[in-house]
Amino acid sequence: MAKSLWCILTRFLPRLLVMVLLFTGAQGLLVAPGAAQGIATGVTMETGPENTLGNRSDAEIWHDLRLGADGIVTPPSGPDAGTVINANGTWWSNMRRADGPLVRYGGYGLAGVVGILLLFFLIRGRIGYGEDSGKQILRFRLSQRVVHWTVAAIFILMASTGLILLFGRAYVVPFAGKTVYSVLATASMQAHNLFGPVFAVFLLAMLFLFIRGNIPKPHDIWWILKGGGFFGGHASAGKYNFGEKLWFWTAILAGITLTVTGFLMLFPDTFAPEVVKTLQAQGLSQIPPTRDTIHYSELAHAIAALIFIGYALGHIYLGTIGTKGSLKGMVDGKVDENWARAHHDLWLDLQQKKQQETEK
Amino acid sequence: MTDQNLPKSARNFDVQRNLPDEVRLANAMDGFVAEFGPTAASYMNACVRCGLCAEACHFYLATDDPKYTPIHKIKPFEEAYNRTSGPFAWLNKMLGRAPKLSIEELEQWEELIYDSCNMCGRCTLACPMGIDIAELVKEARHGMFAAGLLPDRLMHLVTKAEEFDSPFGTPEDFRTTVRQIEKEFGVSMPMDKEKADVLMTLTPEALENHHFGIATMARVLNHLGLDWTYCSDAFEATNFGYLSGDLELQGELTVRLINKAKAIGASTLIIPECGHAWGAARWEAAKWYGAPIEGLRIRHIIEVLAEAVEAGKLKCTPVNESVTFHDPCQQIRRGGLERMPRVLLKALGMELHELDPHGVEGFCCGGGGGVLANERAEPLRLKAFELKKQAVEASGAKHFVTSCNICELTMSKDIEAIGWDKQIESVIDLIGTHMITDEPPLKSPAGKAGGARKKSGTPATGKTKRKRPAKKK
Amino acid sequence: MTLIQLLEGPLWKGSAAIFVVFGIWRLAVILFTGRTRAKAKPAGSPFVGSVRTILGHFLPGAAIRGHGKTWFVTLAGYSFHIGLFALLLFAAPHVTFIRDKILGVGWAPLPRWGFIVAAEFAFAGLLALWVRRFVDPVVRLISRPDDHIAAGLTFVVMLTGCMALGQQSVFLRGLHLGLVEIWLVYFPFSSLMHTFTWPLSRGLTGAMAGRRGTRM
Repeated sequence: MAKSLWCILTRFLPRLLVMVLLFTGAQGLLVAPGAAQGIATGVTMETGPENTLGNRSDAEIWHDLRLGADGIVTPPSGPDAGTVINANGTWWSNMRRADGPLVRYGGYGLAGVVGILLLFFLIRGRIGYGEDSGKQILRFRLSQRVVHWTVAAIFILMASTGLILLFGRAYVVPFAGKTVYSVLATASMQAHNLFGPVFAVFLLAMLFLFIRGNIPKPHDIWWILKGGGFFGGHASAGKYNFGEKLWFWTAILAGITLTVTGFLMLFPDTFAPEVVKTLQAQGLSQIPPTRDTIHYSELAHAIAALIFIGYALGHIYLGTIGTKGSLKGMVDGKVDENWARAHHDLWLDLQQKKQQETEK
Repeated sequence: MTDQNLPKSARNFDVQRNLPDEVRLANAMDGFVAEFGPTAASYMNACVRCGLCAEACHFYLATDDPKYTPIHKIKPFEEAYNRTSGPFAWLNKMLGRAPKLSIEELEQWEELIYDSCNMCGRCTLACPMGIDIAELVKEARHGMFAAGLLPDRLMHLVTKAEEFDSPFGTPEDFRTTVRQIEKEFGVSMPMDKEKADVLMTLTPEALENHHFGIATMARVLNHLGLDWTYCSDAFEATNFGYLSGDLELQGELTVRLINKAKAIGASTLIIPECGHAWGAARWEAAKWYGAPIEGLRIRHIIEVLAEAVEAGKLKCTPVNESVTFHDPCQQIRRGGLERMPRVLLKALGMELHELDPHGVEGFCCGGGGGVLANERAEPLRLKAFELKKQAVEASGAKHFVTSCNICELTMSKDIEAIGWDKQIESVIDLIGTHMITDEPPLKSPAGKAGGARKKSGTPATGKTKRKRPAKKK
Repeated sequence: MTLIQLLEGPLWKGSAAIFVVFGIWRLAVILFTGRTRAKAKPAGSPFVGSVRTILGHFLPGAAIRGHGKTWFVTLAGYSFHIGLFALLLFAAPHVTFIRDKILGVGWAPLPRWGFIVAAEFAFAGLLALWVRRFVDPVVRLISRPDDHIAAGLTFVVMLTGCMALGQQSVFLRGLHLGLVEIWLVYFPFSSLMHTFTWPLSRGLTGAMAGRRGTRM
């Protein structure tokens, strides 16, 4: 399980990302990762780069460095030992610039989600379920509610600090200046780093507490075909509809991605080299040294977070102003039977049948 | 605060005395803090609202209704305390934060303070801060009584206790009934001796409903060769002042017992099979007497019996049947007598199957603290009894025994109401019927049955019919 | 005088004084409430009883052991409190602060990883317990505004403390210190005082139980 997860994360995910980014025109990535590493050009450790007296042009020296020229450098050990400048990160640096594709398209994506939700609200308004039946049915146990809201609270903290770090240079610096942003950034980073592991623990609890009912079932196809009832009509659903199941699995997969890449970034010198060594030994990865692992981690972290936040916006909308009576289910744990009839009729039928059986 | 957490029906509280609301409010507050010492004050300053007390309360566990969370039962008083007499009352006054206590709130809380609390103190065991919430509910009852807000039924008993010295009736009523029991069961019962070593007291529950128990108790005392007596002007063990929150009455009833015992030169005052009477006499008497009580031991009947068993003075023919024991909260958890009934059951040769939970952790019968007398609380009480029923059934024992008249009466009423096929018996009755003695046998042939109450109201074999003695002036 | 000087000087001294003076006042009022009444002859030792209750109530009572909520509150409670005390007394900047401003002596601080672990536990416990105040019908009903303010203030104090961990910004340091001062001023008037009242309430209940020859 863990092995295949690593495999997905380190072997397939980066390739997928490369494809996605090429597709979106991320020019910075065109420097093929890893291609240059390790090709020494006849420069020895003992002497350092030649031509320090200036008998080569800057362009030539830079070219050698880009190709991984050795030299007398400060880190005596570790993955970058002996490399004067690891130039592989240029693609990442271009990618994540304030005017780079990550910020641009990430921003478009989130703005798009907000726009769609706004449009949906204007057209559809608040989705109701008619009158209250007066009868309440338990939807979420106390443990589920506590874990949900703890995850939610930490999520808001993680998302806001993460967004500040990702978008800050593009959107905070121009308005507030670099001094303010520097304070904001260091505060955000510390908070983000500290809350990350807590988030991972509660997300794991969430996986166990909510997995029941979130496994896709054949009847979900009808829900999809009926457009989830978002555009009118009634779409039958069990305890969770397909949209909610998708949300659950998105949260879990994004959460796992964020956790794994997050830990790699938190402990770059502890975990990352070991991970790379293990994977390389098993032929699972061609990803070369640590710094590159961290760059891929950062990219995967950002993309997973953007997907997570985007879906969360939809979830928050539907859970609060979007649908009448849903928030109550997660606060009190109980929902009105008519709410359940409107949104989760298959689940309600099952609960009522169970209740009748126990009464017998 | 949502509406669903407040008592619902139009009016489920009773009001006594014709007082203006402002006077009620002022009285309530004064009453609440009247008995405050460092203990109560530390409680008022320690709660962090963790809600664990709910997990211990049989009324919450039986209903799942948050309003039965123990600490919630004193909420209006807590707020008022902070505003009017807590450590920062002066600051609140300076800031002009008026006392928040409202008469409507007090009326709504009457049910929580009187109907849904037995002051059994199980929540005390759960509290991380060690707050004795039962004690605070008692203080709240002082306030409610002073405000004239308590169940009519309790008030009725208080009035009777004031009028006749006992909710049972006058000294004359008492003498008549005792003579009757004496005759019926053929046990001699000394009455109003000038001097005696032991003053024995009784409860109105037994005098009305459980004459057999009175006879067995007298028989055991005779067997032990004690120089004992009843006193018709100090026979009442129960203390409805304690239950209702009437401090004056509580003090008066307590002091009368002590003074009488001293007057007849008694060395021992025996409290019968009653729970709160034990607490009121053994643990609170000195407070009302105004000094440590010298030269007089206040003892519970099961304590006296257990001591006799351990001294080899009391032996029984073995019963050889399984038994489970209900721990009366005021005797065991709050009374320190946990070991005594177990000594007695062992002496009876019974195989004890403990309830889960039992001992100090045992669940209350649901009737103590004046809840049984307060008839409007019955539906709630029956729900709470379900916990006890399950535990008794799980024990698999043949006999279901206790050592408190109120527990016995409560649970026999509950058993009848839910139509459960079980009898509750008294450990004293069992001792009284099975002890090996030269005392004349109990006259009633059915005495061998153990004298259990089959159904409330219809007395078990070996008991007189429930009969009120010749009544009222 | 700059804001940070103000926060580290007079405001710090002022808030610490309020904390000490009103905290002692509150404890004194508790201890001197009412008059001493005659007590029943003891059936057991009040001293042993109080020690037993003070120690015994560190673990959930047998009466409620096994309930899910009991375990949750106990584990989350300890997670928060132990984490908080580790941060309060052993975080490197705190050790320096205590040495320079309060006691004059310092001690070995936690290593950085220790700080992080302690903070994780403290935050996880506090957040889970605070969230429960909103979603558990029992605690929602009984929670007072004070309980939320106390939890919220403690949370922002901890959060800003962690945000200032980089020790790169006077602003963040000032923010943390300022919130600590608000917290100190609020402390003696709030349920945060349970920090000091718990041995009293436990001990007095235990003394009562010991006197009666039972245990509570």
